[in-house]
Amino acid sequence: MTQTRDIFQAIADPTRRQIIGMLAQKTLNVNAIAKEFDITRQAVSLHVQFLNDCGLIVIKKQGRERYCEAKLAKLNEVTDWIDQYRKHWDNKFDSLENYLAKIQKKEK
Amino acid sequence: MEKYNTFRQEENMLIHTRILDAPRDLVWEVWTTPEHIKEWWGPNGFSLTTKSMNVEPGKIWDFIMHGMGRDWDSKIEYVEVKKTSLLFYKHSGVQGEDYNFTVSILFEEVEGKTLLTMKSVFKSKAIIEELNRKVNAIEGGKQTLNRLENYIKILESKNHKKQ
Repeated sequence: MTQTRDIFQAIADPTRRQIIGMLAQKTLNVNAIAKEFDITRQAVSLHVQFLNDCGLIVIKKQGRERYCEAKLAKLNEVTDWIDQYRKHWDNKFDSLENYLAKIQKKEK
Repeated sequence: MEKYNTFRQEENMLIHTRILDAPRDLVWEVWTTPEHIKEWWGPNGFSLTTKSMNVEPGKIWDFIMHGMGRDWDSKIEYVEVKKTSLLFYKHSGVQGEDYNFTVSILFEEVEGKTLLTMKSVFKSKAIIEELNRKVNAIEGGKQTLNRLENYIKILESKNHKKQ
């Protein structure tokens, strides 16, 4: 079975979120990314590969170096907390509206 | 009258507006009495029990939401109350003070209808962003579990076919 990797899995991990944050500011090679973490270069490289697999970054080879560039448009797939909050209250206001209609009908 | 439903973010605030086809006194009553509020508050499919409700500054609304197979204890502390025109309350969560937020609801009369303006104010814009990230992490977890569940189902159905 081939494992499909998606954006939600990509950002569920704090190290990967940090890498995305770094790359959002500028393109870096794997060594430069690895310097910022206490984990091994191999571990960082796996995280980078993961991000690449789900399309959040692209890896460009220049000579022996691999440069990572963020592709943040992908992040739009994510439903965020604000959106849930908005939906929740839109929903509640609908319920409120219906309830008000119901009790006003009774009064008449 | 045209529909007037809006939602926007301003720095550390989330702002909802809505026009309701009811007089202001009634809308106020529906927000501030246990018999009414249980009819519409809380996520869809949940029911609600009010332990106590005291709509006065410094007093609380203590309630339980029932849903998804468990009870959710909740508390809201009223900070400012101007009868029929303003409700201002504080949400205190279990996550700690940084995540607490206040909500103010303004009730205004417009041509016999009621304009609600609800402002949810967070400690900082950064907190809202952090909540976004956390939810994303939770979504990620959920998706992983769903996928695992589906995968197990596929394996099981394969096994059945073999037998």
